[in-house]
Amino acid sequence: MTGNRLRAEGLVLTYDNRTVVDGLDLEIPDGRVTVIIGPNACGKSTLLRALGRLLKPRRGTVLLDGAELSRIPTKQVAQKIGLLPQTPVPPEGITVSELVTRGRQPHHKWWQQWTEADEKAVSEAMERTATGDLADRPVDELSGGQRQRAWIAMALAQDTDLLLLDEPTTYLDIAHQVEVLDLVRQLNRERGRTVVAVLHDLNQAARYADHLIAMKTGRIVAQGPPSDVITADLVHEVFGLTSVVVPDPVTGSPLVVPGAPWQHG
Amino acid sequence: MTTPGTSVRPTGFSVLRAGRGSFLLHRRATLVATALGAVLAVTVIAYLCVGESFVSPAQVVRVLAGQPSPDEFVVGTLRMPRLAVGLLAGAAFGLAGAFVQTVARNPLASPDVIGVTHGAGAATVAMMTFGVTAHTTLPYVAILGGMAAATLVYVFAWRRGLLAGRFVLIGIGISVALGSLTHLFVTKGDYLVAQQARVWLTGSLNGRGYDQAVPLALLMLVLIPALLWAARAQRTMSFDDDTATALGVRLGRVRLGLIALGVVLASVATGAAGPVDFVALLAPQIARRLTRTAQIPLVGSALTGALIMALADLLARKLFSPIELPVGVLTAAVGAPYLMWLIVRTRSRSGGAA
Repeated sequence: MTGNRLRAEGLVLTYDNRTVVDGLDLEIPDGRVTVIIGPNACGKSTLLRALGRLLKPRRGTVLLDGAELSRIPTKQVAQKIGLLPQTPVPPEGITVSELVTRGRQPHHKWWQQWTEADEKAVSEAMERTATGDLADRPVDELSGGQRQRAWIAMALAQDTDLLLLDEPTTYLDIAHQVEVLDLVRQLNRERGRTVVAVLHDLNQAARYADHLIAMKTGRIVAQGPPSDVITADLVHEVFGLTSVVVPDPVTGSPLVVPGAPWQHG
Repeated sequence: MTTPGTSVRPTGFSVLRAGRGSFLLHRRATLVATALGAVLAVTVIAYLCVGESFVSPAQVVRVLAGQPSPDEFVVGTLRMPRLAVGLLAGAAFGLAGAFVQTVARNPLASPDVIGVTHGAGAATVAMMTFGVTAHTTLPYVAILGGMAAATLVYVFAWRRGLLAGRFVLIGIGISVALGSLTHLFVTKGDYLVAQQARVWLTGSLNGRGYDQAVPLALLMLVLIPALLWAARAQRTMSFDDDTATALGVRLGRVRLGLIALGVVLASVATGAAGPVDFVALLAPQIARRLTRTAQIPLVGSALTGALIMALADLLARKLFSPIELPVGVLTAAVGAPYLMWLIVRTRSRSGGAA
């Protein structure tokens, strides 16, 4: 598995003095959708932040194309890794089209603010996310689903091979959740983009991931194809939840059905 | 659903091409800047007409154009220098406010908040009590004081990076301390010095002239490349930290650069005109409301700052004529209610957290 573009070695991540992730090794498979799951406060978002250089490792390194991420100029990183934080804050009053245009920033020179490549990337990103009709609307006034699509469009306009998404479906209703995840997988399938996403919903993770990483208290408990990773034992070990795992009637991927508490007796 | 081919450029922008270069121009912001420029020109002429004796606009225009006129002394020698200080200081305050508000991500922030104004005040009043009263030295004392205070805030606020919230809180703390120090000097000092210090502390253009205007103008010329950088850098600061970093912005560097620019401009303007209240707070917010851009517009802020100063000083000279008010009284009279309105509005919108 060596030769993957994004890797981590001996990663130690701390907030102030609290250690969240302690000595973690990781490879993100190229051209796949990787989903990180785990209970609250297991360090999954922290890990994603480190992969996107938002958090500097206390020890260990994140490697991008073999180079230490923290030593690559942040603008160069932005040309290779696109990243959508959990709760991004838009500039007040910004329109959707301007927001998407901001995604081109890592490619700009001060004297070239709008090139053909910019135009192509922006219109394509808006087309893919179906935000064309919203172009003139202020982001502040959009519904949750529309807003999330606008943010994803911005990240797409950045035109990076790697895309990191921190809980992209939070605050969305189920239809919009599916819409966003379908879009993510479509990008991966058609463009071969590497996607890493943190998701809360186990069943969505199992459905959309090629590669699943299960975390607990800052460690990786299991990783691999969802059908190997998701078992009743693992769900119990990671979440402390008794469950039955059955095949998803639509896709055949594992479906976690929580067990009824009275069965414990 | 999808509309391919449409919205090939961000809404409200025009693309300006020159050779291989291409620039995005916000149409409304350009329009607003032009309009502000026109209003400013009218204000300048009105300012030069009005005074102890009225000069006709035609004569004012003649003097401005460098043609001989019987009113050359009144307009060119008495009124022009003072107006020049006002315009330059106003523009500098406007820009300084824009930078500080951008970095603090808070419309209530201004150079007061990061210690500049009170640092300049404390240093100047201290020098006055020690017998230095020359108009030629005091501006430089104010500049040093302002920068020293801002550096102090910066050092205290720095902890493995610069957080906007801590920066503002420490700035307020140090400002309060320096404010008390200033009052100590005023109360302990000689009566005459105290009187003089009070006027200076309100901010006044009385007796100011080319001695103050020339250094200010030179500095702003020197700063033009930095301002061009800032205009682009400042746009990127309107996102949250994580998003900005994801877009390749070197946050620490950009913040430091913008704050440094704000501190230099505010200190120098304070040195020239005294700590004129609220201009730095008002100008960027008014400008942004006019342009409706996603960030504070720099040209608009500078023009609005200059306009506020010119208008306020015009009123200060004329309102209770022959008694002249310090220009700071006027700006405070307008600024204080506005600040309160802004606080009330911010509270009701976001529960006070900004």
